[in-house]
Amino acid sequence: MDNLLVIGIILAMMIVLLLAGLYIHSVLLASGIIGLILLEGFGILPGLLGNEPFNRVASYTLTTIPLFVLMAQFILQSGLVQDIFYMVHKVSKGKNSLLGVLTLIIGGLLGAVSGSGTATSASLGQVAIPELRKHGYSAPLAGAVAASGGSLSGIIPPSIILILYGVATETPVGSLFVGAFIPGILTMLVFIAVMLVYFQLGKKKQQATQEEVTEDAAAEEKVPVLRLIIASIIAVAIVFIIFGGIYSGVFTPTEAGAVGAFVGLIAAFLLGKVNFAFFKTSLIETVKLTGMVMIIMIGAQIFGRFVSLSLLPRRLIEWIEPIMDTPALVLIAISIVLFIMFMFIEGAAVILMSIPVLLPIIVELQVDVLWFGVFVAVICTIGLITPPVGLSVYAVAGVSGISSGSIFRLTTVFALVAMVVVTGLMIAFPGLATWLPNSM
Amino acid sequence: MKGVWKAYRLFHYLKLIGIWISGIAVVAMMLLIVYDVMMRTLFSSSIRGGFEIIQNYMMPLVVFPGLAYVYSSGVLPKMDLLLDRFGAGMQKAIILLMILLELFVLVLIVQFSWAYAMDGLEREIAFPAAGTLYPLYPFFFLIPIAFGMIVIENLFILIRNILEKKPSLLMEEPKGPVEDL
Amino acid sequence: GGGESEGGGSEGETITLRAATGLSAQHAWWEASMVPWMERVEELTDGQVQFETFTGGELVSVPDEGDALQSGTVDVALVLPIYQPDQFPMAEVTMLPLNHSDTLIASNAWKKLLESEEELADGQTYTEMQFGDFKVFPVSTTQEYSISTTGKEFNSVSDVEGTSLRTPSRIHEMYAAKTGINSVTMPAVEIYDALSRGTFEGAFYSIADWTGYGFQDLFRYTVTGINFGHFNAFIGMSQSRWDELPENVQEAMTQANEDIFEAGAQEWMDRAEAIIPENEENGGKFVEFSELDQEVQDHFNTGIEDTWTDYAKLLEDNGLPGNEVVKMWRDLLIEEGGEVPEAVMNLE
Ligand code: NA
Ligand code: NA
Repeated sequence: MDNLLVIGIILAMMIVLLLAGLYIHSVLLASGIIGLILLEGFGILPGLLGNEPFNRVASYTLTTIPLFVLMAQFILQSGLVQDIFYMVHKVSKGKNSLLGVLTLIIGGLLGAVSGSGTATSASLGQVAIPELRKHGYSAPLAGAVAASGGSLSGIIPPSIILILYGVATETPVGSLFVGAFIPGILTMLVFIAVMLVYFQLGKKKQQATQEEVTEDAAAEEKVPVLRLIIASIIAVAIVFIIFGGIYSGVFTPTEAGAVGAFVGLIAAFLLGKVNFAFFKTSLIETVKLTGMVMIIMIGAQIFGRFVSLSLLPRRLIEWIEPIMDTPALVLIAISIVLFIMFMFIEGAAVILMSIPVLLPIIVELQVDVLWFGVFVAVICTIGLITPPVGLSVYAVAGVSGISSGSIFRLTTVFALVAMVVVTGLMIAFPGLATWLPNSM
Repeated sequence: MKGVWKAYRLFHYLKLIGIWISGIAVVAMMLLIVYDVMMRTLFSSSIRGGFEIIQNYMMPLVVFPGLAYVYSSGVLPKMDLLLDRFGAGMQKAIILLMILLELFVLVLIVQFSWAYAMDGLEREIAFPAAGTLYPLYPFFFLIPIAFGMIVIENLFILIRNILEKKPSLLMEEPKGPVEDL
Repeated sequence: GGGESEGGGSEGETITLRAATGLSAQHAWWEASMVPWMERVEELTDGQVQFETFTGGELVSVPDEGDALQSGTVDVALVLPIYQPDQFPMAEVTMLPLNHSDTLIASNAWKKLLESEEELADGQTYTEMQFGDFKVFPVSTTQEYSISTTGKEFNSVSDVEGTSLRTPSRIHEMYAAKTGINSVTMPAVEIYDALSRGTFEGAFYSIADWTGYGFQDLFRYTVTGINFGHFNAFIGMSQSRWDELPENVQEAMTQANEDIFEAGAQEWMDRAEAIIPENEENGGKFVEFSELDQEVQDHFNTGIEDTWTDYAKLLEDNGLPGNEVVKMWRDLLIEEGGEVPEAVMNLE
């Protein structure tokens, strides 16, 4: 069947299935499989369906997903983060907006030890949402803060996306990491600004009821000083071990997942929280989240194979040929195309299928390949919180029970603002990404 | 429907075994990596073939055995904007169609991943690590088993929707926190 | 099968073949061998054959290219058999360490090995035994592998022992075990980060391949003049897909491979030549093996000899003609101008 016709049918089918409420992984699997059958016939399936699930999962780099989630579980079950949020609440003297700011900053800090936005979002969702809810944040806003804070792992180094890009384009991964630092911080600041606007709007809407909620929350949270001191020491120690270990070379960012989980376990042990129930909850939750992320990745992989074979990315690129002599225009066009692709498809798959097509254009435009890598990672990070395929939002929805639709309504705004501001600034001032790596 | 629930209870134990295998595998994976890091730092020697073993044995063990439990736990995401706005009859029709589509896709995966595992068995597919070959093909069978269990789960859901009035994509509603929005 | 081979049998109809690699589009094998080969085939068939290309794991990942050919997912691909010693246990023979060779020497020897009519065992040639399901077009090997470190120097045997190096194949694992080198395995994408932070100290790698991972910025000490083998590859098709092609296309493909082969090998040498001065500018040091302490040289050489016999024995233990294949490889190398230690010369 003609490629364009198949692409049309499959895109329409995807939208219908998504709206009907089919599981995301099933939408990806069904669209991918039916697309492949329409495109190539049944004969193409054995070679792609048989091995992809195993190959996708059997990856050392992906150990970060279960292990960072496990770390979050251990820390969550130990009560440590609640204590810290309690302290922060005290420090902010009832300024609840600061709690959201802090959650996003913690998202950024977690991003500096995690390579995967999805795993971080899930962790952040578990730890932060109950606290945010107690302090006047609506469920969707709390979910949006956790999802966007967690998505920052995609751009703040280390980042699996930057690693994939580095490998695909033969760009030094270390330089990419350094280059992503400033745009990563910038993205975080944009998220904070948008969050503050939403928080103020929400506060005006329900001022009367909120006051009571806050007072109740503060009253029930009397924590002994000694425990707070121990909690602070342990928290500082965890951050120190993970950051220190990575940046001194004792372990790689991937191994940090395991070390972090282990340190989390020791912390829980010191706080006297380790028992059978502790393990049961931590392990089941970890396997649930890991299974959720991985089954979507398997679906995305098979859908990605269909997209590759349909030559859809190349068609998209062909459309922008006429504007090649205006680089800024091409870059804006590329960012829109990528934005749309990252909306629908899991990030790593987009990188893998678009780079072979985009890179020649970038080279021809004489755009810095390192700069472009950081640029793509920013859009990819934003893609983690845009519907219909926004893994960070699904991770948060999965752990919190908040509906993904209601979170998406807010994160889409987060995404659009970050898209315009961060990518706009990067196009206007390329030095934001290239200055640091060049001066080191 | 009573017999169905009885059978589903039995099936539930199978899923529980699966999630415990996965859970233990996560802890084992954590300990292996931490041990490897410690050995490398303290004695500058690492587990021979550690990286390959973790990648090829531990990761599939973490993900696949627990997958059927994960599926039935209600944690898997979907866009839930429209379905609730339809009437019960319409909802049921949509859900039945979705279950059939899901079964179609899952059965294909079971079929082809089984074929892949059998082919691996025949060729004795192995991976090299630390100068030796470790068999890989036994782990290929985790995939048709995992997805086969999800097919069974879906058959239960299909029967439930045929026999009971209220349509649902799950056998049991999740017990976790549910926000009222 | 894959590809829109409309008819496929008779002459004159357009044949579109799906070509893939898990390597990046900038990799020397793709850029300097596979792409020129495809262009030459299109040229020689006057556009009768067209290629639809997929790189960087877009459709198939390393090392699944061989499986993808057999399942019909793709029609033609770069196959890297060393990554699958369980399936192609004798492919690693080109990774055996040597005293001297270069990309041209090893490439020619590899081509001769693949095209050899000589019986290896059971009435079969090397290619029939290893790659019987494939139509094989030899392409160049990589440049020779060197040992590079982020700064550690080999001034004595005790410097060598305990050094942590990333090993890319089973043969290097054997060599490392023989010479007391601590072998580290790690996904390629993590190497840069781990090396730059000192998680381990260096790697066996070919200089021409450094830029793929940014190693030109990291390595400070490289031993040249001893070589740790050549990674190999071939352009492959499934035998059944090959048999479907009309004769004129088969001839064009064979001719095209002859036409591009040497330039493909030359690319590796050109790349290495461009990287060496760049690395020296960054403070990198290249040390000639013959200038190392004699004890260190002996240590490395003993390792080489032992690796040849160990590898042969490993194959023999698995019922394969290990002794024959290493001798065949040695003789082809010598014929092309390579050098091996005395004890390897004396292998009988
Ligand atoms: Na990160
Ligand atoms: Na998205």
